[in-house]
Amino acid sequence: MSGIFEYNGGSIVGMKGKNCIAMACDRRFGQQMSTITTNYQKVFKIQDNILLALSGLNSDIHTFYALMEKEINLYNLKENRKMKPTTFANLVASALYERRFGPFFVTPIVAGLENGKPILATYDSIGCKSDLDDFQVGGTGGNYIYGACEAFFKPDLSPEELEEVIGQSLVSGCDRDSLSGWGGVVYVLTEQKLTVKILKTKQT
Amino acid sequence: MIDFDPSTFGLAHTYQKEDKDEINTLSMPSAPQVIYRSLNGPTQTNGGNKLNNFKHGTTTLGFVFKEGILLAVDSRASMGSFLSSEQVRKVIEINEYLLGTMAGGAADCQYWLAYLANHCRTYELKNGSKLSVAAASKFLQGILIGYKNSGLSMGCMIAGTDLSGQHLYYIDNDGMRLKGDIFSVGSGSTYAYGVLDNHYRYDLSLDEAVELGVRAIYHATHRDTASGGVVRVYHIHQNGWTKVHDGIDVVDLHYKFAQQKGLVGDGDEAKQRLF
Repeated sequence: MSGIFEYNGGSIVGMKGKNCIAMACDRRFGQQMSTITTNYQKVFKIQDNILLALSGLNSDIHTFYALMEKEINLYNLKENRKMKPTTFANLVASALYERRFGPFFVTPIVAGLENGKPILATYDSIGCKSDLDDFQVGGTGGNYIYGACEAFFKPDLSPEELEEVIGQSLVSGCDRDSLSGWGGVVYVLTEQKLTVKILKTKQT
Repeated sequence: MIDFDPSTFGLAHTYQKEDKDEINTLSMPSAPQVIYRSLNGPTQTNGGNKLNNFKHGTTTLGFVFKEGILLAVDSRASMGSFLSSEQVRKVIEINEYLLGTMAGGAADCQYWLAYLANHCRTYELKNGSKLSVAAASKFLQGILIGYKNSGLSMGCMIAGTDLSGQHLYYIDNDGMRLKGDIFSVGSGSTYAYGVLDNHYRYDLSLDEAVELGVRAIYHATHRDTASGGVVRVYHIHQNGWTKVHDGIDVVDLHYKFAQQKGLVGDGDEAKQRLF
């Protein structure tokens, strides 16, 4: 329970499907054992085809998101085009390493669709990028969500199935972590649309 | 001559008794000996960080009212941030007229409340009358003072009925023993006190008291991460105790209370933009 990554608590998970990606997060904002609010946003839409999920210290979640929002806005203005998800994934790694000796206490997951192909990348807090797996987790409840993911996940799921699988994994995982939960949100991104669904979970 | 040695009373002996046949039915494993006493103050449980001391992760409450005493507890056990169980029984049934609540170290509470139960029964057999709640709680206090600073962790309430009525005592590992009308113990106690103090009256009816206890525990489980699971409620009256609720799921309570207020209960009443 001690530790800067456990101070606020929270869990995130990202998954790849067939030409779609999904991200889910819990909604708790707490300070150690006390819950402050139950509607904190941890998944952000950076661009129409890129989602950024952040877990860790809530202050740094907000700051890092603001930094990435600035970077992508400046890129759009300077280059007059949208940023590719693989480029953004690299940008996140560089931005984290820039603070190598005073890091942001976040563990991001980046998910996006590049020419219809799903991209998923996860990082440690100083920018080591890993984009090899089909699902990734982060946060205090991460390890418990891994177990549920391994059980429910199959490659090439449709958007509806992926939404179901990621929702169940998040909820099962958060039920074993006292610092995560208090609601859940699932984002499913396809070429055509972004679906956002609020999950009814344990509020304890 | 029939042998009335109490240690063999009731055992049929038709052969020469040998030492190895001795079954001392009245002895218990002897209580743990303290090997090391810290010279620097109380032995810290959990690295000394009181704020994160999850061994006190719980919410228990008890209050006295005109129909007797109501005890309500949650059922969550956590090891750090990992939830090890949501189904723990935190009210220990000492005997048919005494109940103890568990907060702090589960092993400590279970062992010493069972030890107290043994002592109460022995007293009853030797003296022909039941031990009073005051005496039972004082006996436990005496034990805990003996283990002071050795690292025991217990914050329990002893509630029961005797010839002078129903009484509620708070006992903790520092050797504190307090008689009172309202107690809440554990990491969620601050949240429970808020609800309890708001609606407590001595002349509550049984149904109102149960509702108050359940509500107070629910609110604590919602805000405190170390409390959750189900609510268990016991009522102590002049004929002993009854289990009013064996386990009401706090998740169901949350959505029921939200619906009563006309809300959904998903925490998003502000309907903020999510992307």
